[in-house]
Amino acid sequence: MQNQQEIYEKLREVLVELFEIDPAKISLQANLYTDLDIDSIDAVDLVIKLKEITGKKIQAEEFKQVRTVNDVVETLHNLLNASAA
Amino acid sequence: MNRLGQGIGYGWRVIATGLSFAIFGIGGVLMSLTVFPLLRLFCGSDARATKRASQRAVHYSWRFFIWFMKSVGILTWEVRGAERLLQPGRLIIANHPSLLDVVFMISRMPMVDCIVKPAILRNPFMRGPASWAGYIPNGDPERLIEDCSRTLREGNSLLMFPEGTRTSPGQPIQMKRGAAQIALAAEVEILPVTITVVPTTLTKSEAWYQIPSRPFHVTLTAAEPLSLTRFLQGGASRATAARHVTEYLEDYFTQSAAAQTAEVCARIGGIAPMPV
Repeated sequence: MQNQQEIYEKLREVLVELFEIDPAKISLQANLYTDLDIDSIDAVDLVIKLKEITGKKIQAEEFKQVRTVNDVVETLHNLLNASAA
Repeated sequence: MNRLGQGIGYGWRVIATGLSFAIFGIGGVLMSLTVFPLLRLFCGSDARATKRASQRAVHYSWRFFIWFMKSVGILTWEVRGAERLLQPGRLIIANHPSLLDVVFMISRMPMVDCIVKPAILRNPFMRGPASWAGYIPNGDPERLIEDCSRTLREGNSLLMFPEGTRTSPGQPIQMKRGAAQIALAAEVEILPVTITVVPTTLTKSEAWYQIPSRPFHVTLTAAEPLSLTRFLQGGASRATAARHVTEYLEDYFTQSAAAQTAEVCARIGGIAPMPV
Protein backbone atom coordinates (compact mmCIF):
# COMPACT_ATOMS: atom_id res chain seq x y z
CA MET A 1 0.00 0.00 0.00
CA GLN A 2 1.61 3.21 -1.05
CA ASN A 3 -0.77 6.04 -1.65
CA GLN A 4 -3.38 7.30 0.73
CA GLN A 5 -6.30 6.17 -1.40
CA GLU A 6 -5.14 2.55 -1.27
CA ILE A 7 -4.63 2.82 2.42
CA TYR A 8 -8.09 4.25 2.89
CA GLU A 9 -9.70 1.44 0.88
CA LYS A 10 -7.89 -1.21 2.87
CA LEU A 11 -8.75 0.49 6.13
CA ARG A 12 -12.45 0.51 5.22
CA GLU A 13 -12.28 -3.23 4.65
CA VAL A 14 -10.63 -3.77 8.00
CA LEU A 15 -13.14 -1.61 9.86
CA VAL A 16 -16.09 -3.43 8.35
CA GLU A 17 -14.61 -6.86 8.96
CA LEU A 18 -13.31 -6.26 12.46
CA PHE A 19 -16.12 -4.16 13.91
CA GLU A 20 -19.07 -4.86 11.61
CA ILE A 21 -19.40 -1.17 10.88
CA ASP A 22 -21.89 -0.16 8.20
CA PRO A 23 -19.69 0.81 5.21
CA ALA A 24 -21.95 3.78 4.46
CA LYS A 25 -20.86 5.36 7.74
CA ILE A 26 -17.16 5.31 6.92
CA SER A 27 -15.69 8.47 5.46
CA LEU A 28 -12.39 10.31 5.88
CA GLN A 29 -13.95 12.76 8.33
CA ALA A 30 -15.72 10.10 10.37
CA ASN A 31 -14.72 10.24 14.01
CA LEU A 32 -13.70 6.79 15.20
CA TYR A 33 -15.20 7.17 18.62
CA THR A 34 -18.36 9.20 18.13
CA ASP A 35 -19.35 8.20 14.59
CA LEU A 36 -18.09 4.63 14.32
CA ASP A 37 -18.55 3.46 17.92
CA ILE A 38 -14.95 2.29 18.29
CA ASP A 39 -13.74 2.31 21.87
CA SER A 40 -10.20 2.20 23.21
CA ILE A 41 -10.22 -1.59 23.46
CA ASP A 42 -11.24 -1.80 19.81
CA ALA A 43 -8.41 0.63 19.01
CA VAL A 44 -5.92 -1.86 20.45
CA ASP A 45 -7.38 -4.64 18.29
CA LEU A 46 -7.25 -2.34 15.27
CA VAL A 47 -3.56 -1.62 15.77
CA ILE A 48 -2.86 -5.35 16.08
CA LYS A 49 -4.70 -6.00 12.84
CA LEU A 50 -2.85 -3.20 11.06
CA LYS A 51 0.45 -4.66 12.24
CA GLU A 52 -0.55 -8.00 10.73
CA ILE A 53 -1.55 -6.48 7.43
CA THR A 54 1.39 -4.14 6.96
CA GLY A 55 3.96 -6.46 8.47
CA LYS A 56 5.44 -3.41 10.15
CA LYS A 57 6.08 -2.77 13.79
CA ILE A 58 3.42 -0.25 14.76
CA GLN A 59 3.52 1.28 18.20
CA ALA A 60 0.19 1.89 19.86
CA GLU A 61 1.44 5.34 20.89
CA GLU A 62 1.48 6.40 17.24
CA PHE A 63 -2.28 6.15 17.30
CA LYS A 64 -2.95 7.91 20.60
CA GLN A 65 -3.73 11.19 18.86
CA VAL A 66 -5.86 9.63 16.18
CA ARG A 67 -9.48 10.75 16.09
CA THR A 68 -10.77 10.44 12.53
CA VAL A 69 -10.42 7.90 9.74
CA ASN A 70 -8.26 10.41 7.92
CA ASP A 71 -5.91 10.57 10.92
CA VAL A 72 -5.46 6.80 10.71
CA VAL A 73 -4.80 6.95 6.96
CA GLU A 74 -2.20 9.69 7.37
CA THR A 75 -0.47 8.01 10.29
CA LEU A 76 -0.26 4.76 8.37
CA HIS A 77 0.95 6.54 5.26
CA ASN A 78 3.76 8.19 7.23
CA LEU A 79 4.74 4.94 8.90
CA LEU A 80 4.83 2.94 5.68
CA ASN A 81 6.71 5.53 3.69
CA ALA A 82 9.09 6.52 6.46
CA SER A 83 10.58 3.04 6.64
CA ALA A 84 10.75 2.78 2.85
CA ALA A 85 12.73 6.02 2.55
CA MET B 1 -57.87 -0.36 52.29
CA ASN B 2 -59.89 2.84 52.59
CA ARG B 3 -58.63 6.24 51.47
CA LEU B 4 -57.66 7.34 54.97
CA GLY B 5 -55.73 4.15 55.58
CA GLN B 6 -53.94 4.57 52.29
CA GLY B 7 -53.17 8.19 53.07
CA ILE B 8 -51.73 7.36 56.47
CA GLY B 9 -49.75 4.51 54.95
CA TYR B 10 -48.38 6.83 52.28
CA GLY B 11 -47.51 9.50 54.79
CA TRP B 12 -45.73 7.00 56.98
CA ARG B 13 -43.71 5.70 54.04
CA VAL B 14 -42.62 9.21 53.08
CA ILE B 15 -41.20 9.62 56.56
CA ALA B 16 -39.74 6.12 56.57
CA THR B 17 -38.09 6.69 53.18
CA GLY B 18 -36.47 9.92 54.32
CA LEU B 19 -35.33 8.17 57.46
CA SER B 20 -33.87 5.33 55.40
CA PHE B 21 -31.81 7.68 53.25
CA ALA B 22 -30.52 9.37 56.39
CA ILE B 23 -29.62 6.07 58.01
CA PHE B 24 -27.85 4.88 54.89
CA GLY B 25 -25.83 8.04 54.49
CA ILE B 26 -24.98 8.57 58.13
CA GLY B 27 -24.33 4.88 58.63
CA GLY B 28 -21.82 4.93 55.80
CA VAL B 29 -20.01 7.91 57.26
CA LEU B 30 -19.99 6.43 60.77
CA MET B 31 -18.62 3.16 59.50
CA SER B 32 -15.85 5.01 57.72
CA LEU B 33 -14.89 6.57 61.03
CA THR B 34 -15.14 3.48 63.19
CA VAL B 35 -15.62 0.03 61.69
CA PHE B 36 -13.34 0.23 58.68
CA PRO B 37 -10.33 1.77 60.46
CA LEU B 38 -10.72 -0.86 63.19
CA LEU B 39 -10.70 -3.61 60.60
CA ARG B 40 -7.53 -2.18 59.11
CA LEU B 41 -5.99 -2.19 62.54
CA PHE B 42 -6.78 -5.89 62.97
CA CYS B 43 -5.60 -6.80 59.50
CA GLY B 44 -2.32 -4.92 59.85
CA SER B 45 -0.40 -4.56 56.63
CA ASP B 46 -2.49 -7.09 54.76
CA ALA B 47 -4.40 -4.80 52.41
CA ARG B 48 -6.23 -7.67 50.79
CA ALA B 49 -7.52 -8.91 54.14
CA THR B 50 -8.68 -5.39 55.01
CA LYS B 51 -10.55 -5.20 51.73
CA ARG B 52 -12.21 -8.57 52.28
CA ALA B 53 -13.17 -7.71 55.83
CA SER B 54 -14.54 -4.35 54.70
CA GLN B 55 -16.60 -6.07 52.01
CA ARG B 56 -18.10 -8.31 54.65
CA ALA B 57 -18.84 -5.31 56.84
CA VAL B 58 -20.59 -3.54 53.97
CA HIS B 59 -22.49 -6.76 53.23
CA TYR B 60 -23.80 -7.10 56.79
CA SER B 61 -24.62 -3.41 57.16
CA TRP B 62 -26.55 -3.37 53.88
CA ARG B 63 -28.33 -6.57 54.83
CA PHE B 64 -29.43 -4.81 58.01
CA PHE B 65 -30.45 -1.76 55.99
CA ILE B 66 -32.73 -3.83 53.77
CA TRP B 67 -34.21 -5.56 56.80
CA PHE B 68 -34.87 -2.09 58.22
CA MET B 69 -36.67 -0.87 55.10
CA LYS B 70 -38.81 -3.98 55.08
CA SER B 71 -39.61 -3.59 58.79
CA VAL B 72 -40.83 -0.04 58.36
CA GLY B 73 -42.98 -1.13 55.46
CA ILE B 74 -41.29 0.63 52.55
CA LEU B 75 -40.59 -2.50 50.57
CA THR B 76 -40.82 -6.25 50.26
CA TRP B 77 -38.32 -8.37 48.41
CA GLU B 78 -37.43 -11.83 47.14
CA VAL B 79 -34.40 -13.53 45.62
CA ARG B 80 -34.44 -16.54 43.34
CA GLY B 81 -31.33 -18.57 42.65
CA ALA B 82 -29.48 -17.03 45.61
CA GLU B 83 -27.11 -19.99 45.85
CA ARG B 84 -25.82 -19.22 42.36
CA LEU B 85 -24.54 -15.87 43.64
CA LEU B 86 -22.29 -17.56 46.17
CA GLN B 87 -20.18 -19.55 43.69
CA PRO B 88 -16.67 -18.10 43.50
CA GLY B 89 -15.07 -16.70 40.35
CA ARG B 90 -18.33 -15.62 38.77
CA LEU B 91 -18.84 -12.57 36.57
CA ILE B 92 -22.24 -11.39 37.75
CA ILE B 93 -24.11 -9.07 35.44
CA ALA B 94 -27.30 -7.30 36.39
CA ASN B 95 -29.63 -4.76 34.89
CA HIS B 96 -30.02 -1.51 36.78
CA PRO B 97 -33.49 -0.11 37.25
CA SER B 98 -33.12 1.61 40.61
CA LEU B 99 -30.82 3.17 43.21
CA LEU B 100 -31.13 0.13 45.46
CA ASP B 101 -29.76 -2.40 43.00
CA VAL B 102 -26.20 -2.45 44.23
CA VAL B 103 -27.36 -2.46 47.87
CA PHE B 104 -29.54 -5.52 47.27
CA MET B 105 -26.89 -7.37 45.33
CA ILE B 106 -24.15 -6.79 47.90
CA SER B 107 -26.55 -7.76 50.68
CA ARG B 108 -26.75 -11.21 49.08
CA MET B 109 -22.98 -11.68 48.63
CA PRO B 110 -20.54 -11.43 51.57
CA MET B 111 -17.49 -10.96 49.36
CA VAL B 112 -17.58 -9.60 45.86
CA ASP B 113 -15.68 -7.02 43.85
CA CYS B 114 -17.83 -4.48 42.11
CA ILE B 115 -17.29 -2.03 39.28
CA VAL B 116 -18.88 1.32 40.02
CA LYS B 117 -19.10 4.56 38.13
CA PRO B 118 -16.50 7.07 39.33
CA ALA B 119 -19.25 9.37 40.67
CA ILE B 120 -19.97 6.82 43.41
CA LEU B 121 -16.46 7.27 44.78
CA ARG B 122 -17.06 11.03 44.95
CA ASN B 123 -20.49 10.76 46.60
CA PRO B 124 -19.94 11.74 50.25
CA PHE B 125 -22.13 8.94 51.62
CA MET B 126 -21.14 6.13 49.31
CA ARG B 127 -17.45 6.77 49.04
CA GLY B 128 -16.55 5.44 52.48
CA PRO B 129 -18.00 1.95 52.02
CA ALA B 130 -17.16 1.87 48.29
CA SER B 131 -13.49 2.71 48.68
CA TRP B 132 -12.89 0.53 51.76
CA ALA B 133 -14.55 -2.38 49.99
CA GLY B 134 -12.23 -1.76 47.05
CA TYR B 135 -14.94 -1.18 44.47
CA ILE B 136 -13.36 -0.52 41.11
CA PRO B 137 -14.06 2.72 39.22
CA ASN B 138 -14.62 2.07 35.52
CA GLY B 139 -11.78 4.25 34.32
CA ASP B 140 -9.11 3.29 31.80
CA PRO B 141 -10.61 0.35 29.90
CA GLU B 142 -7.38 -1.54 29.23
CA ARG B 143 -6.34 -1.47 32.86
CA LEU B 144 -9.87 -2.38 33.89
CA ILE B 145 -10.00 -5.45 31.68
CA GLU B 146 -6.59 -6.56 32.91
CA ASP B 147 -7.44 -6.05 36.59
CA CYS B 148 -10.84 -7.68 36.28
CA SER B 149 -9.56 -10.71 34.36
CA ARG B 150 -6.93 -11.21 37.01
CA THR B 151 -9.30 -10.99 39.95
CA LEU B 152 -11.71 -13.42 38.28
CA ARG B 153 -8.95 -15.90 37.56
CA GLU B 154 -7.90 -15.68 41.20
CA GLY B 155 -11.36 -16.96 42.08
CA ASN B 156 -13.04 -13.76 43.18
CA SER B 157 -16.48 -12.87 41.93
CA LEU B 158 -17.10 -9.60 40.14
CA LEU B 159 -20.34 -7.65 39.94
CA MET B 160 -21.07 -5.34 37.01
CA PHE B 161 -23.93 -3.21 35.79
CA PRO B 162 -23.17 -2.92 32.07
CA GLU B 163 -25.67 -0.13 31.51
CA GLY B 164 -23.23 2.08 33.40
CA THR B 165 -26.12 3.96 34.95
CA ARG B 166 -29.76 3.38 35.81
CA THR B 167 -32.11 2.39 32.99
CA SER B 168 -34.09 5.29 31.60
CA PRO B 169 -37.70 4.23 32.17
CA GLY B 170 -39.54 3.57 28.95
CA GLN B 171 -36.26 3.38 27.06
CA PRO B 172 -34.74 0.12 25.80
CA ILE B 173 -31.86 -1.28 27.79
CA GLN B 174 -28.49 -0.13 26.42
CA MET B 175 -25.30 -1.70 27.62
CA LYS B 176 -21.68 -0.71 27.28
CA ARG B 177 -19.31 -3.28 25.82
CA GLY B 178 -17.01 -3.41 28.84
CA ALA B 179 -18.75 -6.34 30.52
CA ALA B 180 -18.59 -8.44 27.37
CA GLN B 181 -14.93 -7.50 26.85
CA ILE B 182 -14.06 -8.53 30.40
CA ALA B 183 -15.98 -11.79 30.15
CA LEU B 184 -14.28 -12.69 26.86
CA ALA B 185 -10.81 -11.66 28.06
CA ALA B 186 -11.14 -13.59 31.32
CA GLU B 187 -12.84 -16.52 29.55
CA VAL B 188 -15.53 -16.89 32.21
CA GLU B 189 -19.23 -17.55 32.16
CA ILE B 190 -21.67 -14.72 32.82
CA LEU B 191 -24.19 -15.05 35.63
CA PRO B 192 -27.17 -12.85 34.67
CA VAL B 193 -29.27 -11.36 37.47
CA THR B 194 -32.56 -9.71 36.56
CA ILE B 195 -33.67 -7.00 38.94
CA THR B 196 -37.16 -5.57 38.89
CA VAL B 197 -38.86 -3.02 41.12
CA VAL B 198 -42.67 -2.90 41.15
CA PRO B 199 -44.06 -0.26 41.22
CA THR B 200 -41.02 1.49 39.80
CA THR B 201 -39.23 3.85 42.14
CA LEU B 202 -35.83 5.41 42.69
CA THR B 203 -35.32 5.37 38.94
CA LYS B 204 -33.50 7.92 36.87
CA SER B 205 -36.69 9.83 36.17
CA GLU B 206 -38.01 10.19 39.70
CA ALA B 207 -36.83 12.26 42.66
CA TRP B 208 -36.25 10.26 45.83
CA TYR B 209 -39.28 11.77 47.53
CA GLN B 210 -41.68 10.65 44.79
CA ILE B 211 -42.81 7.68 46.82
CA PRO B 212 -44.83 5.02 44.99
CA SER B 213 -48.48 4.48 45.83
CA ARG B 214 -47.73 1.29 47.75
CA PRO B 215 -44.70 -0.51 49.24
CA PHE B 216 -42.55 -1.57 46.34
CA HIS B 217 -41.47 -5.12 45.68
CA VAL B 218 -37.91 -5.88 44.61
CA THR B 219 -37.23 -9.15 42.81
CA LEU B 220 -33.77 -10.48 42.03
CA THR B 221 -33.48 -13.56 39.85
CA ALA B 222 -30.10 -15.21 39.27
CA ALA B 223 -30.47 -17.35 36.18
CA GLU B 224 -28.28 -20.18 34.85
CA PRO B 225 -24.75 -19.10 33.94
CA LEU B 226 -24.27 -18.18 30.33
CA SER B 227 -21.28 -19.48 28.38
CA LEU B 228 -19.81 -17.22 25.71
CA THR B 229 -17.91 -19.79 23.64
CA ARG B 230 -20.47 -19.77 20.85
CA PHE B 231 -19.84 -16.06 20.25
CA LEU B 232 -16.22 -16.84 19.41
CA GLN B 233 -17.01 -19.60 16.96
CA GLY B 234 -16.33 -19.20 13.28
CA GLY B 235 -13.15 -17.30 14.07
CA ALA B 236 -15.02 -14.17 15.11
CA SER B 237 -12.71 -11.42 16.31
CA ARG B 238 -12.86 -10.40 19.94
CA ALA B 239 -14.21 -7.02 18.92
CA THR B 240 -17.07 -8.55 16.96
CA ALA B 241 -17.79 -11.08 19.68
CA ALA B 242 -17.96 -8.31 22.27
CA ARG B 243 -20.54 -6.50 20.16
CA HIS B 244 -22.64 -9.63 19.69
CA VAL B 245 -22.47 -10.55 23.37
CA THR B 246 -23.54 -7.03 24.34
CA GLU B 247 -26.49 -7.13 21.94
CA TYR B 248 -27.44 -10.54 23.27
CA LEU B 249 -27.34 -9.26 26.85
CA GLU B 250 -29.45 -6.21 25.98
CA ASP B 251 -32.11 -8.45 24.43
CA TYR B 252 -31.88 -10.94 27.25
CA PHE B 253 -32.39 -8.39 29.99
CA THR B 254 -35.07 -6.46 28.15
CA GLN B 255 -37.05 -9.65 27.78
CA SER B 256 -36.39 -11.07 31.25
CA ALA B 257 -37.11 -7.77 33.02
CA ALA B 258 -40.40 -7.38 31.15
CA ALA B 259 -41.44 -10.95 31.89
CA GLN B 260 -40.47 -10.66 35.54
CA THR B 261 -42.29 -7.35 35.93
CA ALA B 262 -45.44 -8.76 34.38
CA GLU B 263 -45.28 -11.83 36.57
CA VAL B 264 -44.79 -9.81 39.77
CA CYS B 265 -47.60 -7.43 38.84
CA ALA B 266 -49.93 -10.34 38.24
CA ARG B 267 -48.99 -11.85 41.58
CA ILE B 268 -49.24 -8.79 43.82
CA GLY B 269 -52.08 -7.46 41.81
CA GLY B 270 -53.66 -4.14 41.08
CA ILE B 271 -50.79 -2.46 39.26
CA ALA B 272 -50.47 -2.00 35.52
CA PRO B 273 -47.05 -3.13 34.23
CA MET B 274 -44.65 -0.39 33.09
CA PRO B 275 -44.40 -0.43 29.31
CA VAL B 276 -40.88 -1.30 28.23
